[in-house]
Amino acid sequence: MATLELIHLVKKFGEFTAINDISLRVEESEFVTLLGPSGCGKSTLLNMISGLEDVTEGEIKMNGKVVNQLGPFERDVAMVFQNYALYPHMTVEENIGFSMRLRKRPKEEISSRVKGVANMLELGHLLHRLPRELSGGQQQRVAIGRAVIREPSIFLFDEPFSNLDAALRVKTRGEIKELHQRLGVTSIFVTHDQEEALSLSDHIAVLSTGKLEQLGSPEEIYSKPASKYVARFIGSPQMDIFSGDFETIDGNLAYRIGQASIPLPKEITYPNQTLDMGVRPEFVMLGSSGFPASVRLVQPVGPFTYVTVDWQGGSVTARVNGVSHLKVKENLHVEFDPTGMLFFDRESEKRRDI
Amino acid sequence: MALNRRYLNRFFIRFGLVTFTLLALGPVLWGVVTSLFPLSSLTSRPPDLNPVNLTIENYILVFDTSRGLFSGLINSFIIAFFTSAVALAVGSAAAYALARLNMPGSNLILMMILATQMFPGIVIAIPLFLVMSRLDLVDTHFGLIMVYLSFILPIVIWILKGFFESVPMELERAAAVDGATPLQTFQFVVLPISLPPLFATGVFAFIESWNEFFFAIILTRINVKTAPIAIAEFSGQYTTLYGQMLASAVLASIPVVILAIIFRRFILEGFVEGAIKA
Repeated sequence: MATLELIHLVKKFGEFTAINDISLRVEESEFVTLLGPSGCGKSTLLNMISGLEDVTEGEIKMNGKVVNQLGPFERDVAMVFQNYALYPHMTVEENIGFSMRLRKRPKEEISSRVKGVANMLELGHLLHRLPRELSGGQQQRVAIGRAVIREPSIFLFDEPFSNLDAALRVKTRGEIKELHQRLGVTSIFVTHDQEEALSLSDHIAVLSTGKLEQLGSPEEIYSKPASKYVARFIGSPQMDIFSGDFETIDGNLAYRIGQASIPLPKEITYPNQTLDMGVRPEFVMLGSSGFPASVRLVQPVGPFTYVTVDWQGGSVTARVNGVSHLKVKENLHVEFDPTGMLFFDRESEKRRDI
Repeated sequence: MALNRRYLNRFFIRFGLVTFTLLALGPVLWGVVTSLFPLSSLTSRPPDLNPVNLTIENYILVFDTSRGLFSGLINSFIIAFFTSAVALAVGSAAAYALARLNMPGSNLILMMILATQMFPGIVIAIPLFLVMSRLDLVDTHFGLIMVYLSFILPIVIWILKGFFESVPMELERAAAVDGATPLQTFQFVVLPISLPPLFATGVFAFIESWNEFFFAIILTRINVKTAPIAIAEFSGQYTTLYGQMLASAVLASIPVVILAIIFRRFILEGFVEGAIKA
């Protein structure tokens, strides 16, 4: 178990800056996810932490010691790769035991440790198979086994679920979370899937083009996104963001979007800057009161139905409990819950508390 | 209807395969037959293939006479062995570097390697002979090995480069994370999964240099005469000893056939399959 600190980390490939001044701290036994779209630098950052990629500027500290110059093995990290990277000519047993064989441990010790790990991961009956004779989920577990047997200070996961089908993905996600709860090893997990990030992590680091947009707990990232970028990236369907203006009607503050003037709570004072307003579907209500709108799209997802309505020249999506019987083109009214309204600076795109 | 079409397809595929096999094997079979009968039964019309005439006389004669077949086989073996060994050693290192290292100009190097393949042998034969004779390399093993390498090595590099590129980088990274030194990574991971393509290209290089005739006849005199040259010499100005010639040819084919049979399994086996879930 270890703490991990990234201090003003920079990575350049020639002229291209892949990682642009990222600092973050991971506490002992924490599960931290690096989340971002493809090309945002999250895998590069993971490779830098692992020691597979060297650092252009800045420092990586593990347990307070700078490890920039150390190789992956000396950093005592273990990694699970996106394509598993199992050694194709070795059996499951040899794959899991490879690191011990390199350290010239006695055969009996290797074999008993491998059996222990394999049983924990329900691979006990597959020890003599080759990787190509295993299913995707089994290969995945072998890759995890190869990391677990090392008893490393830090686990690194590079999009480990992206080759699994949806059902297996959710199941494996649960297994990883349990594994983390059981072993308590500090873990860094890279993904582009917000659901994975939200469900697994103690903290999420949202990255965009080499920069750290926000580091926070899943709740913070979801309900208090630091910027429009984070707000849009987290949450499905996306948050709707409107460019409107503040106005005062009869001494009460309101936010005007097109012809609609949404009254704001008394506590909010006039912010004196141009702000955009964002709202997630669960804070949008459809019914008989509010502003007129008409149904554009109805998307049932099981426990909820997402209903997108045409409204003020644009659209807004609402979350309706259960099954909705609304029809396309049906007229209704839309209302906003002011507690769910977030404001973003139009210039800097950062969130402003008002 | 669909069933009929499937059968028809199968019929044509099999017909094609049988035709091709007969075309390819026909001359070989006739060669074997020729080597096992005395010349008189072959030249009579129609050929008299009565099994009572079967004889291994030709096989005895090719070693008895001072025809140089035996030394030709030895020379061919030395040359083919060293050509394929050097081609594999140098070729795999070069291919690995070209596939894995981000070298400036590696594309140019690859294209130049390929460009060497574009000259027909006859075009370079005379200048090559002049260069080789100035260097005193005519009629030496070393000289012929160098010449063979010049056209076999580029092919080996291209084949192996394609293979190394198909090996996922993560395998080596995984080994590094598991604590393997670069040498251990090569020994335990890269080398074992590379054996099938290495065998395949090695066999290819061996057969190429074993069979080569054109440069061998230009660049050898007496000492380094290879098997194909020795075989050709059964055809003289006044007579051609067909039986002995083909007996030698059959003998010279045996090592190649054995190689192909031994390494068939390795050549076909795709170890890398399953390294990655596609």
